[in-house]
Amino acid sequence: MSIHKLRRWGIVLGSLGVLGVLVLHALVFFWVPTEASQGIIQRIFYIHVPAAIVAFLAFGVVAIAGALYLWLGDEQLDQAALCAAEGGMVFTTVVLLTGPLWGKIAWGTYWTWEPRLTLTLLLWFIYLGYFLVRASTENPERGKRFSAVVGIVGALDIPLIHVSVLWFRSLHPGPVVFKTSGPSLAAPMSVTLGVGFLSMLLVFLGVFAFRYALETAKRAAEMRARANA
Amino acid sequence: MEAVTASAPVTQGVEPVLSARGLVREYGAVVAVDGIDLDLAPGDFLTIFGPNGAGKTSLLSLLGGRLKPTRGEVVIGGQRLDFGETSWRSRIGVLSHQGFLYAHLTVEENLRFFGRLFDLPDLDRRIPERLEQVGLADRASFLSRQLSHGMRQRLALARALLHDPEVVLLDEPYTGLDPYAASVLRNVLSSLHDGRRTVVMVTHNLTQGLELSNRVAIQVRGAFAWEGPRERIDAADFERFYHHVVEDGRE
Amino acid sequence: MSYVRQVYAIIWKDLLLELRTRERIAAMGAFAVLAGVLFNYATDQTIVRPQDVAAGLIWMTLVFGGLLGIGRTFHLEAQDGAFQGVLTSPAPKDAIFLGKTLANFVLLFVVSLLVVAVFMLFFRLELGSNPGMLVLTLALGALGFVALGTLFSAVSSGTHMGETLLPILVFPLLVPMVIYGVSATSRLFADRPVAEVAGNLRMLGAFAVLGVAAGAVLFRYVVEE
Repeated sequence: MSIHKLRRWGIVLGSLGVLGVLVLHALVFFWVPTEASQGIIQRIFYIHVPAAIVAFLAFGVVAIAGALYLWLGDEQLDQAALCAAEGGMVFTTVVLLTGPLWGKIAWGTYWTWEPRLTLTLLLWFIYLGYFLVRASTENPERGKRFSAVVGIVGALDIPLIHVSVLWFRSLHPGPVVFKTSGPSLAAPMSVTLGVGFLSMLLVFLGVFAFRYALETAKRAAEMRARANA
Repeated sequence: MEAVTASAPVTQGVEPVLSARGLVREYGAVVAVDGIDLDLAPGDFLTIFGPNGAGKTSLLSLLGGRLKPTRGEVVIGGQRLDFGETSWRSRIGVLSHQGFLYAHLTVEENLRFFGRLFDLPDLDRRIPERLEQVGLADRASFLSRQLSHGMRQRLALARALLHDPEVVLLDEPYTGLDPYAASVLRNVLSSLHDGRRTVVMVTHNLTQGLELSNRVAIQVRGAFAWEGPRERIDAADFERFYHHVVEDGRE
Repeated sequence: MSYVRQVYAIIWKDLLLELRTRERIAAMGAFAVLAGVLFNYATDQTIVRPQDVAAGLIWMTLVFGGLLGIGRTFHLEAQDGAFQGVLTSPAPKDAIFLGKTLANFVLLFVVSLLVVAVFMLFFRLELGSNPGMLVLTLALGALGFVALGTLFSAVSSGTHMGETLLPILVFPLLVPMVIYGVSATSRLFADRPVAEVAGNLRMLGAFAVLGVAAGAVLFRYVVEE
């Protein structure tokens, strides 16, 4: 796909996503009924949970594209991994900002060692390592390989981290966390959650496509600069 | 003497031992090696000259399988350098101005370690033999950090040749050597000139570079600006010719 | 056979170098003892009994002290280009990784025994009736740790941040090891039945398998240029 076409897709998807997020906020503030046990603060969940899902999906893309890059050596795969990592880091940050806000009201404290929130914090640091490795290598090709290794090992370790923090939590019971899914969710809540997930996914895809086009242009410019050097 | 770029193999009709086809290596935006073709037959001794940053060491690393080419390929004895499989590495010996030695291992232990990595048989016979060859037989139990620079370089030479490679790659081997060490190195290098082995040497030193070689290349900005048989070079006038080629190559 | 010989060559060389220089073992050993001293003063014993937190302190000492030594895995290799010689040898890259990981394992395992001995002495811990299980816990934890440590030590020594990058890369990945290692260790010190630590040991085992397998596969992408 050409840069221009990709850029256009990025703008279209991203705009749809932003529109979706606006609709989501309208739904969250004015439409969806207040959850009985948690009260008003539960509404942040419609932003928090979709962002978390997208953050972890993005990391899946980072790991798979990274592994394929190591295997096939195709630059575009590294580019895809990089762009997914940037998007993923943004959504991980959203999760880490909304989680404590919710926690402060629901549990009376900004930070609890809630397993999923803990996992997200660790994911944020794995992403940080991913970018630091890239930034601290003079030879960009080496940075690509190193960051792919960080992404792959991170993705392999995440299930183990998840199991372990869940298990740790079971030893130290804290405030009860309500289930994020299941039949107990009323229909308007499911719809809002669905809108949330879809619009965040669109934002991610839009940013991804736009960023990918930008990165393509950047690398092409570097090639041209080199040819003229 | 004209600046020719055509490169016909010196030894016609003999299967080349070491070939490169369209070899390119990039580091991000930097092109270190820019489209090199090469065919070396058994017995060939190629010296590559060139200014700093011409990509000579990168080229040698590509030929030795230390670097992966961005494009193109290297073939050694009909075997394409494939990074998944490593048996071809036994056919290459590398000597650089760095010794690839462990300062805290003894002379003997250094060779034993690399001998095991190369999975060589009868190290107990082979190691004393090689030490004899480079005049270090009486130093076998010295730590390599206790050796003089010249001795260390001779040990490095023994290490590079321990597995009796068909292709020997030398990166500035004369750097910092005392006259005695240089003469040992020269003797061993000329003994490599047995018609069976192929040698590629990279150097700045125009005199030492011409001594043993039968083929010469001048690398400028990643590519060969001149390449041809040694006979075509007038040693007395080589310095002027070299500068001329380098100037031309830079334009 | 040649594979085993190559792995053995690396282990032999690394341990021999360590015996000669004693750089890493001295740093890790001194760190362990000094950390024990500091931890003694870092706990107000009118509020917490040191025995209650000893397992956690042991593992934190292992993580920090271990990284001190593991982070220098490729330091001696870089001198005089020695590792170039290793990389241009026919030894497969996974054999090189396994050799270096096992050599690091021997080092860290020795250090972990020292840490436990020192902390038992300092904090008057009782060994419990299952010293064998404690050793197994330390061994499994150390194996997973050195596998990831060796892989990322190769990564960080290829960057200009060097060893300062290593904790950022490795700490998030070590969470399972710390959780299960600390839990198993404190239960063993409390003399709880073996059945209570079996699950923890299995998870430590899974973590070690993951680390070694990932490192063996990915190491070549770190060192091959």
